[in-house]
Amino acid sequence: MSLTRTNLAKTIKKQYFFKLKANITSFTLLIGVQLLALLFSLGGVASSSFGSSSIRLNTQYYTADIVIIFTLIWAFVMAITITTKPHRDLDFTFVTNRLSSSFANILYLLTVSIVGSMMAILSDNLLRVIIYTFLDKQFYSSTMGLQEFIMGISITSFYVLMVCSIGYFVGTLVQISSLFTILLPALFFGSLFLRPSMDEKPIITNAFEYYLLESSLTLFIVKIVITTALFFTISTSILNRMEVRQ
Amino acid sequence: MRVIECSNLTKTFFTKKALNKLSFSIEENKITGLIGRNGAGKTTLLKIIAGFIKETSGEIKVFSEKPFNNLNNSAHVIYVDDHMSFPSTIPLLELLKVAESFYPNWNRDLAMRLFEYFSFDPKTYHHRLSKGKTSTFNMIIGLASRCSLTIFDEPTTGMDESVRKDFYKALLKDYIAYPRSIILSSHHLSEIEDLLEDVLLIKDGKTYLQMPISELKEYAFALQGNNGEVFKLTSDKEVIFKNHIASNVTYVIVKNDGSKNLLQQARHAGVEISPVPLSDLCVYLTNETNGGIEDVFNEN
Amino acid sequence: MYSQYQLAEMYTINPATAAKGLNLLVDEKILYKKRGLGLFVSSTGKEIIINKRKNFTLKGLVRELVIEAKQLQLSEKELMMMIKELYEEEDKQ
Repeated sequence: MSLTRTNLAKTIKKQYFFKLKANITSFTLLIGVQLLALLFSLGGVASSSFGSSSIRLNTQYYTADIVIIFTLIWAFVMAITITTKPHRDLDFTFVTNRLSSSFANILYLLTVSIVGSMMAILSDNLLRVIIYTFLDKQFYSSTMGLQEFIMGISITSFYVLMVCSIGYFVGTLVQISSLFTILLPALFFGSLFLRPSMDEKPIITNAFEYYLLESSLTLFIVKIVITTALFFTISTSILNRMEVRQ
Repeated sequence: MRVIECSNLTKTFFTKKALNKLSFSIEENKITGLIGRNGAGKTTLLKIIAGFIKETSGEIKVFSEKPFNNLNNSAHVIYVDDHMSFPSTIPLLELLKVAESFYPNWNRDLAMRLFEYFSFDPKTYHHRLSKGKTSTFNMIIGLASRCSLTIFDEPTTGMDESVRKDFYKALLKDYIAYPRSIILSSHHLSEIEDLLEDVLLIKDGKTYLQMPISELKEYAFALQGNNGEVFKLTSDKEVIFKNHIASNVTYVIVKNDGSKNLLQQARHAGVEISPVPLSDLCVYLTNETNGGIEDVFNEN
Repeated sequence: MYSQYQLAEMYTINPATAAKGLNLLVDEKILYKKRGLGLFVSSTGKEIIINKRKNFTLKGLVRELVIEAKQLQLSEKELMMMIKELYEEEDKQ
C-alpha cells in the first residue's frame, strides 16, 4: 500500500487560512485598541505656549504615535497568544506538523503586522479629520503623499513584525517552562536599571536606539529583518520538539 | 502490510512509566479494540501513534514511518476523542468545510448526512455543544475523514444509548463501504465487542495479550459449585478469578487449556460451567489480585 | 445466501466474525461455495441442521432437565408425566 505524500506548502496555506478564520476576533480587538489610542491622542502629545501682554499663542501637537504604540502592544500580545496550548492544540486537530504550524503562525503574524500598521497609519488621518472637524482651533498639518503613506505602512510593519517575533519567542519560552513568566518580566525591568556605568543609559535604551536611530533605510531594514528572522528561527526550532495534547 | 509496528515502546512522564517496553503490531484494515484499565497507558499509546507525543525509547512505525512530527502521519492518521479542539469563531458547518480542505479522502456526503441526521444546527459553535453532542460531532469528523488509520479514544463519552448504537452502526457500515484500519478504545467492551476483529489488551504499559476476538471468547470459562468439587476440577488449571459466593459455593474463572472431558466431569460433580462475558474477563485479567473488590471487604 | 458484509450490516458485527460463522457452516457442509458466485445452502443443509439440533441442542436440554429433576428428587415417572402433560397442552394450541 502506498499512501499519498502530503505537501508542506499546501498544508501551510490551508493552515494559514484556517488560522485567519479562527483568530478573526483579534482584528476586532485591534479596532478597539486603536480607537482607545485615538481617544488618548485627542489630548495632544505636547503643547507649548508663549505670549506677551497682548498676544498669547498656544500650540498643541497632535500625533497618532500612541496608536502605533498600542498596535505594537496588541501585536506582542497576539504573538504570545498563538504560542499557547489551546492555539497549538487547534492546529493538531487537523493535518499538521510542527514546522507547518510554525510557518502558518509566522504568516499569520505577518498579516497581523501589515493590517495593524495599515490601520494605525490610516487612523493618523482619522485623527486629523477629527481635530479639524471638532476642535475649534486653527489647524496646521503636514501633508502626506501616497509615497509617504506606503512608506509609513511598510516601516511600521517592520517594527510590528519585529515585536511579533519577540512576542512569539517570549511565548515559546513560556511554553517550555512557566518559570519564564516570572523570569522574563524580571529581566526586562531589571535591565531598565542595568547600565554599564552610572552616567550611561540603560542597556535596553541602547537596544532601542540601535533600531530607532538608524538613519539609513537599507540598514534599518537589514537590522530588523535579521533580528526578526533570528527570533522566529529560534522559536521554531524550540517548538519543533514540543509535544502536544498531553 | 502492517499499519503499526512497535517494539519496546517506552514513555516516561517525569518518573512514571506510562508505557513500559510495549511491543505489538496491527495489520491493515482491521478493527482493533484497545482494552485496558484506567491508567494502563491506552491514551498515551494512541497519542504516540497520532504523532502528538514522542516515545522515550523503543521504536514505533506507523505506515513504515516514525509518527512524531510527521506531516504524512498527520494526514493519514486521525485521533478522535472528546478533547479535540475547534476554534470558537467558526460555526459547525464551516468546520466541516475546513476539515474537508485538510483531508484528501474526506467524504462530504457522509459528513452532511450524519450532520443532518443528528440534527446539528449549522450556525452554532463547537464550544456550545453538550458533552454528548461534542462526541457526536467529533465522531462525524473522524468517520468522514476516512483516514487510513482512524483512532477513536473513548468516542462515546456522554452519548446517550441510542446515539451510541447509531455510532457503532455508522462506523461498521462505513468500514464495510471503505475498509481502513480502525482502533477503538472504550471502557464499554460489551458494547463494542461485536464490532471488533482483534483485541489488544494492555496492562501496566505492557501488552498483556493480543488475539482475534473469537479466540478471546474461548480464552476462559467459569465454574460454579461446591467448594471441594470446584477445587478438585481446577487444581491443575490457571485460575484467573476466584470468588466465594456463599460459604460452600465458589465461582472460579479458569484459563481454557482445551481439555474436553472437563465438561463431563463438571456435570457429574454438579458444577455449573458457563462462558465468561468478555468485559468481565478483561476486568479480571487486568486486576492486580484475583479476588476483586470482595477482597477489600473480606477481613479474613 | 447473504454475504459476510450483508450479515455484518444486518447484525452490526465485524465482517470477519460473519465470515468465520459462514466458514463454520461450510465446514459442516450446510453451505457450499460456488466459485465466483458465493455461498449457497446445500441440498442436505436443512437435514444437517435438524440432526444437529436433535443430537446436541435437544439432548443437552433434556440432560439439564434430568439433572434438575434429580436435584428436586423427582422420579422418572413423575418427570415423564410432566412432559406428557405439556406435550398435550402444546398440541391443543
